[in-house]
Amino acid sequence: MSVLAGKELRIVGFLCNWCSYGGADTAGVARATQPTDLRIVRVPCSGRIDPLFILRALLHGADGVLVSGCHPGDCHYAEGNYYARRRLEILKQFLPVLGIDPRRFEYTWISASEGQRWQLAVTKFTQQIHELGAAPAFENAEKLIQIADMALTALRPLGTGQHAALADLKKAIVEKLPELDCVIGWQQSYDAAHSAPLFMRKPEDVEKLVWGPLNVNNLATYLPQYKGKKVGIVVKGCDSRSVTQLLQEGLINRDDVVVFSMPCEGTLDMARINQALGAYQHIDKVAYDEAGVSITADGKEHRFCMVEYAQGKCYSCATPGAVLADVRLGTPTPVTGTPATPPELALLDSMSLSERFAFWHTQMERCIRCYACRNACPMCVCRDYCVAESRDPHWLTQEDTATEKFFFQTIHALHLAGRCTGCGECQRACPVGIPILALRQQIARAVAQTFEGYRPGMNAKATPPLMGFTVEENNIKEKDWNK
Amino acid sequence: MITRYFPADALTKVVASLADERRVLIPVTQPAVKKSVIFAPFSAGMTVELHKASVAPKEAVLPQCETLLTYSKQKDAEDPSKVNLVLDDKPQAQPTIVFGCRPCDARGFAVLDRPYLDGPFIDPYYQARRKQLIVITQTCPSVGTTCFCHWVGSGPNSTTGSDIMLTAIDGGYVLEAVTEKGEALLAGMKLEDGAPFMDKAKTARGTVEAQLAPAPDLTQAQEKIAARFNDNTFWEEQTAQCLSCGACTYMCPTCYCFNITDEGDGVCKAGRRLRTWDTCMSPLFTREASGHNARMSKAQRMKNRISHKFSTYPENWGGEFSCNGCGRCINNCPVNLDIRAIVLAAINEKGA
Amino acid sequence: MRIGVFICHCGSNIGGTVDCAKVAALAATFPDVVYATDPMYTCAEPGQAAIEEAIKNYQLDGVVVASCSPRMHEPTFRRTVERAGLNRYMFEMANIREHVSWIGKDIEANTNKAAELVKMAVAKLRNNKALHAASFDVNKKVLVIGGGVAGIQAALDCAEGGIPVVLVEREATIGGKMAKLDKTFPTVDCSACILGPKMVDVAQSPNITTYAYSEIESISGYVGNFTVTIRKKTTYVDWSKCTGCGACTEKCPSKKTPDAFNEVTGLTTAITIAFPQAIPKKAVINAQHCKKLLTGKCGVCAKTCPTGAINYEMKDELVTETVGAIVAATGYDLVDWTQYEQYGGGRYPDVITSLQYERLLSASGPTGGHIVRPSDGKEPKNVVFIQCVGSRDRSIGRPYCSGFCCMYTAKQAVLTKDHMPDSQSYVFYMDIRANGKLYDEFQRRAVEEYGTEYIRGRVSKIYPDGKGHLIVKGADTLLGQAVEVEADLVVLAVGVEAAKGAARLAEKLRISYDSYGFFMESHVKLKPVETNTAGVYLAGVCQGVKDIPASVAQGSAAAAKVLSLFSKDKLQSDPQISQVDIKRCIACGKCVQTCPFGAIELFDFRGQQKARVIETVCQGCGLCTATCPQGAIQLAHFTDNQILAEVDALCQC
Repeated sequence: MSVLAGKELRIVGFLCNWCSYGGADTAGVARATQPTDLRIVRVPCSGRIDPLFILRALLHGADGVLVSGCHPGDCHYAEGNYYARRRLEILKQFLPVLGIDPRRFEYTWISASEGQRWQLAVTKFTQQIHELGAAPAFENAEKLIQIADMALTALRPLGTGQHAALADLKKAIVEKLPELDCVIGWQQSYDAAHSAPLFMRKPEDVEKLVWGPLNVNNLATYLPQYKGKKVGIVVKGCDSRSVTQLLQEGLINRDDVVVFSMPCEGTLDMARINQALGAYQHIDKVAYDEAGVSITADGKEHRFCMVEYAQGKCYSCATPGAVLADVRLGTPTPVTGTPATPPELALLDSMSLSERFAFWHTQMERCIRCYACRNACPMCVCRDYCVAESRDPHWLTQEDTATEKFFFQTIHALHLAGRCTGCGECQRACPVGIPILALRQQIARAVAQTFEGYRPGMNAKATPPLMGFTVEENNIKEKDWNK
Repeated sequence: MITRYFPADALTKVVASLADERRVLIPVTQPAVKKSVIFAPFSAGMTVELHKASVAPKEAVLPQCETLLTYSKQKDAEDPSKVNLVLDDKPQAQPTIVFGCRPCDARGFAVLDRPYLDGPFIDPYYQARRKQLIVITQTCPSVGTTCFCHWVGSGPNSTTGSDIMLTAIDGGYVLEAVTEKGEALLAGMKLEDGAPFMDKAKTARGTVEAQLAPAPDLTQAQEKIAARFNDNTFWEEQTAQCLSCGACTYMCPTCYCFNITDEGDGVCKAGRRLRTWDTCMSPLFTREASGHNARMSKAQRMKNRISHKFSTYPENWGGEFSCNGCGRCINNCPVNLDIRAIVLAAINEKGA
Repeated sequence: MRIGVFICHCGSNIGGTVDCAKVAALAATFPDVVYATDPMYTCAEPGQAAIEEAIKNYQLDGVVVASCSPRMHEPTFRRTVERAGLNRYMFEMANIREHVSWIGKDIEANTNKAAELVKMAVAKLRNNKALHAASFDVNKKVLVIGGGVAGIQAALDCAEGGIPVVLVEREATIGGKMAKLDKTFPTVDCSACILGPKMVDVAQSPNITTYAYSEIESISGYVGNFTVTIRKKTTYVDWSKCTGCGACTEKCPSKKTPDAFNEVTGLTTAITIAFPQAIPKKAVINAQHCKKLLTGKCGVCAKTCPTGAINYEMKDELVTETVGAIVAATGYDLVDWTQYEQYGGGRYPDVITSLQYERLLSASGPTGGHIVRPSDGKEPKNVVFIQCVGSRDRSIGRPYCSGFCCMYTAKQAVLTKDHMPDSQSYVFYMDIRANGKLYDEFQRRAVEEYGTEYIRGRVSKIYPDGKGHLIVKGADTLLGQAVEVEADLVVLAVGVEAAKGAARLAEKLRISYDSYGFFMESHVKLKPVETNTAGVYLAGVCQGVKDIPASVAQGSAAAAKVLSLFSKDKLQSDPQISQVDIKRCIACGKCVQTCPFGAIELFDFRGQQKARVIETVCQGCGLCTATCPQGAIQLAHFTDNQILAEVDALCQC
């Protein structure tokens, strides 16, 4: 038993109890004939509708999802639909990057008295879905391999940080260290071509501190676990946005964090560096100059120009200096021009919906569910209680299908809506190189477009867009759909 | 032992001929800005390239996710309250060759065999796969910066866990059977005899062996790490960088922990019991039904992982480490955490 | 679980277009369903008894009824399963009437859809948990919003029942529209004479606190425990000192202030008392016309006032009252008729509204009860009444009938003849709606005894003939010919719409309103007094058009609802509220930040911050559940897993 083959498509409705469910009742009482495809899930309020329910339905076989709540202003719970409006709008703008036609999801407002309006909405939406036809199944997507073009132009000169005031920084840290539990920075890792986080507790630890384009990690990830303790952190511009965002959400206290910053001149894309180095046994030499770094491994010299080998995020970075800092050394280079679309997102933009579906399926198949993406993310604050592995709520099974893996990525991306600072740690951490940052970048783009250019992590005092609302939304035109 | 030779350009053809009768898992490069190499079934049209894989081939015997059983509830036509539960718990296994893994990968099968086959309980699912598995291992053509196989009882030419060794020589490959299974397979392959090329193969193997830096002495590791058990400060310091993800353990050829969940028991009338990889680095690993967690902190979890590999596993299984020195946990770690450094720090007590 | 499924035929309502037996047979194949049947009327007494019996016979621990909307009968069936010993939340409904059988005739599709809705309900029920209501105290005090006849009646009945009442009235006096009427149909008795005593009762009742010239600023809380902030608008007169003597109004030099109480048919002073019988009888300064407030020069009233009550510095004041129930009785306003260009769009002084005409008829009105033309003060001879101005008119978005216009027009025609025996009244009408007690008889008298000429047809144009008359051009659709009447005065029976600001008040009350601003009742037939917000009731025209007897009846009905609510010392809270899984909570505070009711707080739990829900404040919207990223706060009965079960039942099977 399922939808009637050839006659119906699978359409799921989420309706608030007080207005729209009543409106559907009113339509029934008026014997207002409607298509039979829709099945309604009753919820108390449109604010109860986690956008993930909609994604789950769309990824698991629904051909369309219709959400309806009370008209803005009429919410039985005063404000639920205002929040819903923002979340549903961001979801709608998120769907295309996944390869899902955004017309498969609509949201509208229908009151308990508007039976006729409900009839029209159902009829129109059902017709819209029938015009689109049955939704393609993610699991059946064909293989598609495409790789982002990394030939990018930076908004500022990229360099290797060789004039950075490292000695001054070390001095400043040593001075502050007595009042701090530790200061988090970077050190050389297993060889001179790789770095790792450094936790400085004693003055001699500070000697290990390094600065330069190998310092790829966003150390803000460690801050929430130190909440309640006084710690210092060394940041690049991008990292400081994560610190700001953590402050905004109250996940760390301003008084407990001492931020040390130096201007960032870009970081290296270690994936491509490692690729170029190939198998080697020993790093003989790492030599920096203004434009890049030369790494000699097993006697062979490899040249990496910053303009060619920087991380994708660095090219469009407009915050080389820290957004906030207690100890600020050096002057950041000026930023000129406007950021271009990030490379992976630009690649997806160039694809059709079905190509994006195929692209993601091809990529997600190799995910091993190690959750390095999540754990490297400074904004993943659920930490040990992520819904990915819980049974109550039971959002994900442990199956290794591409759909389940992809659904997790959409959960992560949606949970980051209005919060992701684009640090790219998720993608960098992925051991199998899945370009998942693009999903977060699309969310960030949707948030910026919808909420007056809002960029997370720029202002600790701002209200995150999805944690608030305005009665009149300037850029949400949801009413256009069901006129 | 039987040996065979084939020219370099026949590599794909040789794999294709093996794939006629079985699933052949080969290392496949996944194109992306950040390339990775994953073992995947060979299919027509593929070109075989023998890169070291990012993820160990343990998938062949211990899939990331496998269905242990499916069940369906069949209702009595007359009385819906009478339900007949139909179970299917037959292991799903097929004849498989892992082709072109490295000695560190192959040694993983030997490490997994002990708990799954040699202990008090034989795992039928593992056993069904293992019985039908042939491992064709490429001797290592080079040594990597994170490689330390020779520290832990393996080496670039170690045969542990392999059925056949494959060595690249100038212009071709030499195959050398290690086990009877390997003999049988090689005997059936219509390839040139490898004997004339064995000298070249041995030279190639020796060249790599010679590149190895001297290994530290880990003979005291089992006791010394056990002695660290209550040194919380030590483990906390070593673990500060850890993000508690599962990259290290899922990449590891020797990690064999799993989780079991029942799924699909919705209105779908049928359900399935799944076994999936689990990671001891996750706080969920030891969270009990009561909510109590025996290993709340990541330091405790790291202690467990290191101790298991270098102390308790050897204690249980004849002194063998459950670490092959493949280095995957180092270079795939998002923060480049180095297990070698932790082990060395653990055995070199202060001042020692 | 052991689930029983009941597929209701609802006579032929469902059975006509859904194969109920087949749905029941399919339901029997769903997991955990041990019993499925298809009764004719599940909600009827035998139907409910059958459910109770099945629960016992088949040891059911959950029940699904597929029938009408849960908005209709969910409470009914919850009580049914409860009688048989189940927890009332171990019950789910599938709506196969309003959402299936009534909206399509395709039996195959309907049957399939009905079965799927049952499947969803079963899937959800399998995730349901028994929930238990907590009880809480009731503040036995009621707020009545609106001091018209409906609000007055509700306030008096509650006060009579011993309940303290807070009565809030937007205008300076209670009485509402009825206080402006001259006489009332069908008895033609004096409006002031029958309403006046009730107003005095309000003033004299020790149980009623009246806030006149006040509006509702905000409302928070929930049934039994609302907190209401009332804005006392600035009157510039200290009412605790004002005795209502009227000395100020006599001396006030600003005598050209439009008289709102008289529907601007006359002028009054800047400081004024609405009308002689006003309750409370207190003066108010109209700031738009007060010389002192506009120019700083005057102050005559302050000098005149014997008690020194005038205070030009006065500001709005906010007062807070706590109540357990609220009656909304905010009445109506007239449609803006000036949008009708064909009636002059407000340009002809002798085209007036029926309410203005009431003021002209009234002995306490600006003309002392003499009917005179606003243009020249002369008595009219021919008076033309036009019905349905702003009623039953789709073109201006007012398709509904205003209900009482036919009757008051007949009354006004009768009164016109009484006042001016040689006058002639004409009534242009669409249909006569006179369905109340003694109504039709009264309307016939207007025709038969008072010679009112009724013309069935619409007026197409009114224009002045230049000689002091208005030419009313229309059609007599009964005779099928054009009609032209030379009128001295035209009275428009202007339709009603919800009072200005009703929508804003509805939002504060968290109740629904329809597209015309009328408040939505819980059920149009069976719950005409209740709203969907517990503890909020409706009386009078705010809920829909009605005349005085019906408004009074609904006022009493609302009072009865309040009294029955207050008959219990404790109320049961709805257990469908959010619950925090304290283990999963990481105290990120996102739920606290977004909760519209302030129902979530952070607290210290063994040295760690955790969130907790204040049970009586939580309204059960579930916004927090959709907000919490780790799913640590779950709305009971609508948990993630319950909704996921429904989605999966649809999408994955």
